[in-house]
Amino acid sequence: MEEEDEEARGLLANGPDETGRDTPAALAAPETLPALCDPSRLAHRLLVLLLMCFLGFGSYFCYDNPAALQTQVKRDMQVNTTKFMLLYAWYSWPNVVLCFFGGFLIDRVFGIRWGTIIFSCFICIGQVVFALGGIFNAYWLMEFGRFVFGIGGESLAVAQNTYAVSWFKGKELNLVFGLQLSMARVGSTVNMNLMGWLYSKVEALGSAGHTTLGITLMIGAITCILSLICALALAYLDQRAERILHKEQGKTGEVIKLTDVKDFSLPLWLIFIICVCYYVAVFPFIGLGKVFFTEKFGFSSQAAGAINSVVYVISAPMSPIFGLLVDKTGKNIIWVLCAVVTTLASHMLLAFTLWNPWIAMCLLGLSYSLLACALWPMVAFVVPEHQLGTAYGFMQSIQNLGLAISSIIAGMILDTRGYLFLEVFFIACVSLSLLAVVFLYLVNRAQGGNLNYSARQREEIKVSHSE
Amino acid sequence: MCSCEEPRRGWGRCAPSPMLLLSLLLSAAPLGLRGEDARQVSLEVIPDPTGPPENLLHIRAVGSNSTLHYVWSSLGPPAVVLVATNTSHSTLSVNWSCLLSPEPAGGLVVHPEDSVQFSSALVFTRLFEFDSTNTSDEAAEPPGKPYPPYSLAEWSWNNVTDSLDPATLSTTFRGHPIHDPIGAFANGSLAFRVQAFSGSGRPAQPPRLLHTADTCQLEVALVGAVPRGNRSLFRLEVATLGQGPDCPSLREHHSIDDEYAPAVFQLDQLLWGSLPSGFMQWRPVAFSQKQGGRESSLPCQVSPLYPTLAYLPQSPIVRAFFGSQNNFCAFNLTFGTSAGPGYWDQHYLSWSMLLGVGFPPMDALSPLVLGIMAVALGAPGLVLLAGGLFLLLGPKRYSEYQPIN
Repeated sequence: MEEEDEEARGLLANGPDETGRDTPAALAAPETLPALCDPSRLAHRLLVLLLMCFLGFGSYFCYDNPAALQTQVKRDMQVNTTKFMLLYAWYSWPNVVLCFFGGFLIDRVFGIRWGTIIFSCFICIGQVVFALGGIFNAYWLMEFGRFVFGIGGESLAVAQNTYAVSWFKGKELNLVFGLQLSMARVGSTVNMNLMGWLYSKVEALGSAGHTTLGITLMIGAITCILSLICALALAYLDQRAERILHKEQGKTGEVIKLTDVKDFSLPLWLIFIICVCYYVAVFPFIGLGKVFFTEKFGFSSQAAGAINSVVYVISAPMSPIFGLLVDKTGKNIIWVLCAVVTTLASHMLLAFTLWNPWIAMCLLGLSYSLLACALWPMVAFVVPEHQLGTAYGFMQSIQNLGLAISSIIAGMILDTRGYLFLEVFFIACVSLSLLAVVFLYLVNRAQGGNLNYSARQREEIKVSHSE
Repeated sequence: MCSCEEPRRGWGRCAPSPMLLLSLLLSAAPLGLRGEDARQVSLEVIPDPTGPPENLLHIRAVGSNSTLHYVWSSLGPPAVVLVATNTSHSTLSVNWSCLLSPEPAGGLVVHPEDSVQFSSALVFTRLFEFDSTNTSDEAAEPPGKPYPPYSLAEWSWNNVTDSLDPATLSTTFRGHPIHDPIGAFANGSLAFRVQAFSGSGRPAQPPRLLHTADTCQLEVALVGAVPRGNRSLFRLEVATLGQGPDCPSLREHHSIDDEYAPAVFQLDQLLWGSLPSGFMQWRPVAFSQKQGGRESSLPCQVSPLYPTLAYLPQSPIVRAFFGSQNNFCAFNLTFGTSAGPGYWDQHYLSWSMLLGVGFPPMDALSPLVLGIMAVALGAPGLVLLAGGLFLLLGPKRYSEYQPIN
C-alpha cells in the first residue's frame, strides 16, 4: 500500500504537466463544456472511453505490421519465412510468463496508472527498436524490438480492461469492452490496408530497401506514441477522479496461484486444448496470409491486404452480436462446435479449392468471433471463482506458448513444403481442437456438467438455488 | 541422300476432347504417344568420323511398344529434335556431310520412317538482357533498357562427351560467346543440362517437376556472367515448329498443390496438338541461388507465341530433320522482375523444363497430405460416433448441479 501511495504522489507531481501539454482538448474543456470535466458525468466518461479505446490502438496496429509488410520484410532483410515468423514468436515468448504476472504487476507493483504508462512505454520502445533494426539492417535488432514490444503488448490489454472495469463497472461495462475490442480490430485492419501503401510512398523517396522498411515502421510507431499519450492522459484523469470522487485506483483483482493448476478439472484442460489448437490455426495464418492470397489467388498486394484483414473487420461488429446470442441461448459447447467446424471448413476451402477466398475468409471471421464469445466464458463455469485468475492466466500463457511454437513451425513448413502443406497443418490443428470439443461434450454429458445448459436452464438453476 | 523430303507433320490436328474421355483417348492414341512406365534409355554422342568433334547427343528411350528419340545439338544455336515412334526398333541415322552442308535437309532420319508418330523441335535462339534499374512497373514491356542480345548461334560450346554421365543419364552443354568484347563471360557460362529418365520420379532440386520415362528434363543455368546493368533481367527466346498455320498452344494450369514447389500454384504447358501429343512443361519459377529455396525464387513470365516466318539463326539439326519448313513460332521466357530477387544477387539463374510426349505428368496430392487429412477428419467423427453410442446405450447418470460460488 505504501508503494502505491508513493506512485500516486509521483503521478500527482508529474501528471498534470505532461497531460496538459499533450491533450489540449482536456485543458480547453473547462470553459466550454463543464460536463466534460466532471468525472461523475457521462460526457466525461465518454472522453475517458475514447482515450481507453486509443490506448490499445497502437499495440494492435503494430502487432500485425510484419504481416502487412511480409514481402518487404523478407526481401529487404533477406530472411526466409522461418526467420520472418520469428518476429511473431518473439512477441509471444515474454507473454508465456507475463500472462501470470501482468495482473500482479498492476495490482501490487506499479498500480494501474503507472502500469499502463510503463507498458505503453515498452510498446513504444519496442516498435522504435523494431524500426531501427530495419534502418540499421540488423535483423536481430528487429527481433529484439518485437520482444520488447511483446513485453508491453498483452499486459497493456490487461491494464486497458482494468481501467474499463474501474470506470464503467455497473454502468456501460459490456458496451465498453465491446468497443475496446472493436477498436483493436480497427487498429489491425487499418494496419493491413495502410502499411503496404505507406511503404510504397516511402520507397518513392528513393532510399535503400531496409531503410525504407525502417522508416515505414518508424511512422507506424506514431500510433504507439498516440497510445502513450492516451496512457498519460488517462493516468491524469484517473488520478483527478480519485481526488474529486474519492474513488479507488482500479485493480485487476487477479490472484494467481500456480499451485491451483493441479486442481484444474478435465473439462478445463480440454478447453485449454481447444483454445491453443484453434488460435494456432488463425493468428499464424493471418501472419502469413498476405503472400498466400497473392501467390495462390493472384490478388494484388492491396487486395491481399484487404482480404487478410477481413477476419478483423468481421470480428469488430460481430463480436457483440454473437456475445448477445450466446448469452441468450446458452449451449456454449454447441456454439464452440459450430465455430470450430466452420473454421475447419474455411481452411479446407482455402487449401483444396480455388474458389474466391473471400468466402473462406468471411467464414473464418464469423467463426473466430463466435468462438471467442462462446469459449472464454466457459472457463468461468468449470472453475471456482477464486481460481479464475489463474485459469485465465494459464489459458493465455499456453495460448502464447502455442502461438510462439506454431509460428516457427508454420514458417518452416512454408519454406520447405509450401502453402498446401501449411494449410493441412492448420487443418490438423483445428481438427485436434474439434476432437477436444467432442471430448468436452462427451465428458460434460457423462459428468452431468453445466457447460451445455441453455440460458433458461441456467436461469432455472439459479432461481432454484436462491429459493 | 541429301534430298529435301516432305516435312513431317507428326501428330495431326483433331478436335479437342473432354478430359473425361481421357482413358478412351489413351486407348485410341497411337502407340508411340501412349506413354510407358519404364524405358531403356541410352545416351550417345554421335561422332563425326571425318571432321572435328561436334556436339550431337542422341537420347534413345526404348519402351515395349515405342521409342523416343531426342537429338540435342549445339550446331548453330542449342536445339532439340523430338521424335516419337511406335516401334521399339526405330533408329536414328546421321549423314554428317549433309548435316554440315548449307542445305542440311535429310541429314537426320529416323528409320523406319512410317513409324514416326510425332515430331517437333525447340531452338534456343537468343539471350536478351535488360537493365531494370529505373523500371518500377513490374509488368512493363520491355522490362527495362535493352542491351544488344546474345545470339546463341554465335557461341562456342564445350564437348558434351566430357560431362556425359551414364549413371544419371545426363550431360551438359556449356557455352560462352565467341565474341565477348567486354569479357562478360570471362568467368561465366550458360549451361543446358539435359537429363533423361528410365522411370518416373521427382528430383530433389526445386522446382521438382514430376518426370516420367516419356520425358526429358532441361535445366538452363546462367552462372558467373557479369551483368551489363545493376539490375539485369534476362530473357530467353525459344523457337519451335508450328502445327500447320497455327502456333502450338500455351496452357496455364492452376493447381491447389504447391507441395513440391512452395508458393508456385501454376504449371505452364506448351502443347503441339490436342492430347496426347508432344508437350513442354515448366513451372513459372526460376531461382537466383543454387539451393533453390523459396527466398531465391523469381517469377518466370512467358510471352504469347508469335509466328516468325524467317527466324534467325537457323538450326542445322532442325533443318536436317524437317527440311526447309518455315512455319516457326517463338516465345520468350523472362526471369525475374525489377523488384527482385534477381540474377544480380549471386550471379546465378536457373530454370527447368520437361520435354516429352503423351500426357504431361500431373501432380497428385502426396500420400502424406492424404494421410493427415484422413486422420484429421476421421478422428473427430469416429470419437463423436463412439461417444454418442456410448451415451445412448450406456447407463445414464444425473448429478445435482453444484453452484460454483
